[in-house]
Amino acid sequence: MSILVNKNTRVLVQGITGTQASFHVRRSVDYGTNVVAGVTPGKGGISYMDIPVFNTVSEAVKETQANASVMFVPAKAVKSALKDAVDAGLELVVCIADGVPIKDMMEIRHILSGTPTKFIGPNTPGIITPGEARLGIFPENILQKGKVGIISRSSTLTYEAVLETNRAHQGQSTVIGLGDDMVIGMDFIPPLEMFMNDSETEAVVIIGQLDGAFEEMCAKYYADLSYKKPVISFVAGNAIPFGHKMGYAGDVIAQGKVTAEDKKDAMKQAGMIVVDDINDIHKKLLDIFNGND
Amino acid sequence: MNIHEYQAKKILSRFGVLIPEGRIAYTPNEAKNAAISVFPRGPWMLKAQIQSGAREKGHFIEETAGKGGGIRLIKKRREIIKAAKQMLGATLCTPQTGPKGKPVGRIYVEAFVKVKKKFYAAMIIDRVIPALTLLICEPDEKGILDVAVHHPDKILKLNLNLEKGARKTQIEKARKFLNLPERSFPYLRNLISGMHKAFISCDATMIEINPAGVTRWGRIVALDAKMSFDNNALYRQPNIAVLQDEYESEEREIKAAKFGFKYSDFDGGSIGCIVNGDGIALAAMDLIRKNGMDTTCFLNVKGGVDKDKIAAGIKIIMTNPRVEGILINILGGFLRCNLLAEGIVSAASEVGLNVPLVVRFEGTNKEEATEILQTSKLPIIIADNMEDSVDKLIAAVKETD
Repeated sequence: MSILVNKNTRVLVQGITGTQASFHVRRSVDYGTNVVAGVTPGKGGISYMDIPVFNTVSEAVKETQANASVMFVPAKAVKSALKDAVDAGLELVVCIADGVPIKDMMEIRHILSGTPTKFIGPNTPGIITPGEARLGIFPENILQKGKVGIISRSSTLTYEAVLETNRAHQGQSTVIGLGDDMVIGMDFIPPLEMFMNDSETEAVVIIGQLDGAFEEMCAKYYADLSYKKPVISFVAGNAIPFGHKMGYAGDVIAQGKVTAEDKKDAMKQAGMIVVDDINDIHKKLLDIFNGND
Repeated sequence: MNIHEYQAKKILSRFGVLIPEGRIAYTPNEAKNAAISVFPRGPWMLKAQIQSGAREKGHFIEETAGKGGGIRLIKKRREIIKAAKQMLGATLCTPQTGPKGKPVGRIYVEAFVKVKKKFYAAMIIDRVIPALTLLICEPDEKGILDVAVHHPDKILKLNLNLEKGARKTQIEKARKFLNLPERSFPYLRNLISGMHKAFISCDATMIEINPAGVTRWGRIVALDAKMSFDNNALYRQPNIAVLQDEYESEEREIKAAKFGFKYSDFDGGSIGCIVNGDGIALAAMDLIRKNGMDTTCFLNVKGGVDKDKIAAGIKIIMTNPRVEGILINILGGFLRCNLLAEGIVSAASEVGLNVPLVVRFEGTNKEEATEILQTSKLPIIIADNMEDSVDKLIAAVKETD
């Protein structure tokens, strides 16, 4: 098992004819991902890399029964592409684009509410279930199939977390990048819940970030669980006075300045295993898996 | 992107927010003329235009700027030129600018408005919900942050409809929360709806009125204003984009931005980092601190690293005189390490490599890249993982001392 995507996921690529898309779609197909359709408005009817291209997501779904989309459209076009995907009733949309305006994301969240469509991203490396499906731009060569689920809010540290699982001689069940942006489509809780229920996943690694209370919310959710799998978590940013400050509103809404330490405390209290160095993750994984043996 | 107070006020007033009469001045003479034209008899407020909060609590580095802060109440006409001379060209430090401060290139001359009461109003995105949120508060003398930490119940948080803004009942709730008289309702509505319209129309990410003042007659005036905007939306906000003040950014920040990079500078520290993500930057900085040193600057080269871009990035870091050691930590998806290595070698040969440089990368063609670095005969150290890279760099920096 795995979560959200597997070898049966019927993947559609929005914006398939773009240069970045074709490069990554080729790699995803070679990896074994079941890519069934592409969508580029105005180019319907052609075949691109042997994949049939449609004008709209609805047409593509009707013809190919696609149920998930990976979006390679530019930031400006994300909102309209998402509408198209929601109208077609897709279960999952993964948005790679960097630079989607915040207002567009706010509107996207509004469009998504009450629909069955889940949205991962934007500004994410995507989601990958090793050996089965790759939706996004993950370097598939560093992944291997295994029992550790990874959820990350930082793109680069996702790779670091993968390398740490490898160092512990473990592989990954599914790896999800939630996206680095201010407003994202999915927070930690839905994938964490799925990992808790996934028979293949035995431990979860969470990579948090400064800003936004997603880690605290996730900690609260975890604390209340009756059945828990071990979760190792990391938040970078101890050495920071970060960024250029302007006004207080950001601190006011967070009820004061929230530090990496505050987030780690919340996760520790919830019963997660919190590491101060990202390179300690493999040690904790060794503890967990050697203990289980 | 941030803008100056006078620019924010101009935008807000276009959407119906009341502001005091004011004009911008670049010279002491202009300040005097501005004062006479906006409010012939005075008094006036002279306000240093730097992008920072707490300007009134700030101080100038130069003694010639006198003891006053960045916001001064001037009662007599002849004092205008004197105060303007002191402030213009001087460097203002506030808790938000840090000890380096920011140079004051222009001052905003404004009519002094007598108010009976002041309050805090801000609009921001609560990213967790996510919702457009209005924050209202009547802070005590300790300020808004103190209230936020110790008495969060004294802050009214209202989630607004993104399109329509505040409902009548929400504005009424805010009025009662602030104990404002009923006759202030239309003025409060003007303020809140003006903030909302400005927020949505301009792709803002933050609007802060700190403070808004309530006059004897119940009118509500924005005495200060801050606005920040979404950089990702500037392409559709040409009128906002032109307001970018390059003097507010460091020279290296501007250079880096030209390549699509993000450069950040810190007070103190001696290590320069080149990374390809904020997360990895933070993690590297934590590790460096744990090992007894600090980061002085970092450059996030983001995605799409190629040979020429990496060379340009390395030059930005190498020419920072505070840098005593450089850490390059790049975890690429499809980054080809050999191109990265070529960029490193070309930058190092061009500007000279006087400090230890440790490189750690993951990606395709790693072996080829290692060979390029080794055959370059430059003193470049290659590391296997993040902790190894920090260990090796710190050992090398200590050795050079």
